[in-house]
Amino acid sequence: MLWSLLALFVVYPLSAMFGQAFLVDGRPSLGPLLSALGQPNHRAALANSLVLGTLVGIVGTTIGFLFAFTATRCNLPDRWVRLLDAATLLPLISPPFTTSIAFVFSFGPRGLITYELLGIKGTNVYGLASTLAAEVLTYFPIAYLALRPVLAAIGGNIEEMAFSLGSSRWRVFRTVTLPLAVPGLANAFLLLFAASLADFATPLILAGSRFPVLPTEAYLQITGLFDLKGGAVLSFLLLVPAAIVFLLQRHWVGRGHFVTVTGKAGPQSALDGVSRGARCLLVALCATVALSILYLYALLLYASVVVAFGANHALTLKHYVVIFTEGWKAIKDTLIIAFLGMPVGGLFGVLVGYLVARGEFRGRQAMELVSMANYALPGTIVGIAYLIAFNDPPIALTGGALIIVACYVFRYSPTGVRTTVALLKQIDRGIEEASRSLGAGSFTTFRRVTLPLVLPAFFAGLGVVFIRSMTAISATIFLVSIDWILITVRILENMTELSLGPAAAFSVFVIAVVMLVTTAIGALLRRLPGPPGIATVAGYGGG
Amino acid sequence: MAANPVSIRLVGISARFDHRVKGEVAAVDDVSLEVAPGELLTLLGPSGCGKTTTLRMIAGFQRPSAGRILIGDHDVTEVLSNDRNIGFVFQNYALFPHLGIFENVAYGLRVRRMDEAAIRRVVGDVLELVGLKGYERQMPHQLSGGEQQRVALARAIVIKPRVLLFDEPLSNLDAKLRVQMRGEIQRLQRDVGITTVYVTHDQEEAMAISDRIAVMSKGVIAQLGRAEDLYSRPASEFVARFIGRANLLRTTVLARDGARLTLGMAGQRYVVDAPESGPPVGAVAHAVIRPETILIGPADAVGAIPGRVVTRTYLGEKTEYTVTVGADTLQIVRIGAAETERFEPGAAVGIRLPAGRLHLLPEVGT
Repeated sequence: MLWSLLALFVVYPLSAMFGQAFLVDGRPSLGPLLSALGQPNHRAALANSLVLGTLVGIVGTTIGFLFAFTATRCNLPDRWVRLLDAATLLPLISPPFTTSIAFVFSFGPRGLITYELLGIKGTNVYGLASTLAAEVLTYFPIAYLALRPVLAAIGGNIEEMAFSLGSSRWRVFRTVTLPLAVPGLANAFLLLFAASLADFATPLILAGSRFPVLPTEAYLQITGLFDLKGGAVLSFLLLVPAAIVFLLQRHWVGRGHFVTVTGKAGPQSALDGVSRGARCLLVALCATVALSILYLYALLLYASVVVAFGANHALTLKHYVVIFTEGWKAIKDTLIIAFLGMPVGGLFGVLVGYLVARGEFRGRQAMELVSMANYALPGTIVGIAYLIAFNDPPIALTGGALIIVACYVFRYSPTGVRTTVALLKQIDRGIEEASRSLGAGSFTTFRRVTLPLVLPAFFAGLGVVFIRSMTAISATIFLVSIDWILITVRILENMTELSLGPAAAFSVFVIAVVMLVTTAIGALLRRLPGPPGIATVAGYGGG
Repeated sequence: MAANPVSIRLVGISARFDHRVKGEVAAVDDVSLEVAPGELLTLLGPSGCGKTTTLRMIAGFQRPSAGRILIGDHDVTEVLSNDRNIGFVFQNYALFPHLGIFENVAYGLRVRRMDEAAIRRVVGDVLELVGLKGYERQMPHQLSGGEQQRVALARAIVIKPRVLLFDEPLSNLDAKLRVQMRGEIQRLQRDVGITTVYVTHDQEEAMAISDRIAVMSKGVIAQLGRAEDLYSRPASEFVARFIGRANLLRTTVLARDGARLTLGMAGQRYVVDAPESGPPVGAVAHAVIRPETILIGPADAVGAIPGRVVTRTYLGEKTEYTVTVGADTLQIVRIGAAETERFEPGAAVGIRLPAGRLHLLPEVGT
């Protein structure tokens, strides 16, 4: 049953896309691929995507490392650390292009900084630099979340040991901390590279025509030229580096290169890990990044309550009136889809996770890999694959709500799968055996012991499906129709029509709803019975 | 509680599995064993000897690849563990983390659809029995390790199982608590009279608690018997070394007289009981002697074997020596010796091996 669903919504669309890209008149052919590579702007898109991904990886990992180092080594008061966490959480739960929109407000032709403060006229915000900056601010929190536990594990005893051997702080950092963090840094780089490669919304808004990247090229190929085959070929070009990165990263984490330190992570060192000067510098750097994020979000909020940003700064609520009248259909559709997908995705994640962790059948690992595929692949690929697969009979689903819900469920339930697997790995099999030894059959054991214990994973998975249903765009932009429209797609339309006010208002609305639901789920999770040790692995990362 | 204790019989059970590198491996290899009704039998051995696998097969968590398991007169080999009516106490307690103490203990009763009033009464009684009255509303993670293990014990005995199975229940507790808890487990098991199989790697724990001990090694039972038998008449070098400390001596068989053998070692003659198939005259035989049975005295004592002290460790109630005798090194423990008795390292001493304490090994394992 699960297998047939996975086959229908993961394997079938991908193979349909491959078929589209490599079959000419029913015969396998490399023609479409070669002709795509022959076009200079397609080649440029490929090169640009790789360059952008590499730069985002390097800069984002650096900032993420700075944040993680500051949070774990500077003996900051708890309040400060929580401030850092809050600043990094915002980009993770927002629609992926929020930063880009705020960037336009800040640095665009009528931007707050470029126009109002510096008085530069006719600036061009579009291009590599701003795309890079926006993507770094959006995705560096992923690196921060990945690196923080790594640095925390390295800490304490090992560094104290090096100190006791007479090393200076800088020397300890250079010879002990940094080398031990290398696997973590590589992992963070790969995560960011993949995120940037897959990012569709930021380049669509900020890259401009002179800096094409693969996801936007594929999108234009399909929506502009109605060229499904060209879109499929470009998706394939995107798929190759994405798959390589995914496999590399999986190999790295799976082989346990990650756990560089065995034994207990000692207590946080009483010694200051860094000197006063370095500490001030680190805190200042982090504060600058955190404040820029807060500034961008504040700007977004401000833009949503003024008549016309950059021209008329009188306060008004008219943009909110617009989104709740003209935009009401998008809001309604998005919420319906999100609330439909939420329980289904949560349940699906727990079921697959349970089978992967506890099942004893052949193909367990294959099931895990297949269930992760739609999550690991860039959204553009998944969207195009769905479009190709479900546009025509035998399974014509495009235009309906079902295809969007299915896309979200299969793309975002892997968080639930992974959380369930992680939880079940923490739960000793003995607990289930204890239940059986006390006379409970396997069904009673599942209902009364296993299910309550994986409840946190269910809610975490459900939360992620909801958040992504509210904020994602890359896959579903290919799947919306007149009947079913999404808020994120409307925001993009507003941006291209230069009606910035409603775009800002929509964004604020989405962020508010997401924060509300995240907080509610967080509160619910805290009230679930059980030891504090079984906390949730909130996997909000990844676009 | 258990008015009619039942026996447990293992008939030639094996647990084989495919190992990626080694091919087919037997964790338990053709083990037969009978646990008498009401008896507490311990499976003792180092890690990987198959003791836990044996216990898990009795519980029904694992199917034997060969052999039968009988509880009382019933062949339960094919019976699922939830229908075997067993009580199992896990090493890591395995309490249900999402249920309170009361609900943890009541779980097995609820599965058996006992009515609410009876559950309250029975759970209250058993919690009192294990000394946890008043803990009903606590959650497992709020309890200490010893308390959690008491809950696990209460949860296992409240369903009045026909057999009680313990899988290293004390190894997560600190040393003092371990001694106290093993006393409580023993008292409880005597009181309720349930046939019990207990798994541990701690020989002291096994000797303190068991009616009989089965020492396991590499998937088979190396020796089965009372603690006294295992200690004074080990069947192999493995058992001799696993239970307590042992000196292994190379001797030569000088003469045989029915059930008695005369052994020669370091110019002395010792007469010992011969095992049934004793070694022939002239053969080399290995004898075991426990460190605390060896006598140590001045070098000029009549009839003593000359030796030289290498180390001396004073431990309060006892003093430990290592002494070289010819090519051998002996461990000697002196218990309650006078404080004036000091044989410093380097000193020449005379040692005596009381013939009655020398035990000839039937075979020497490696």
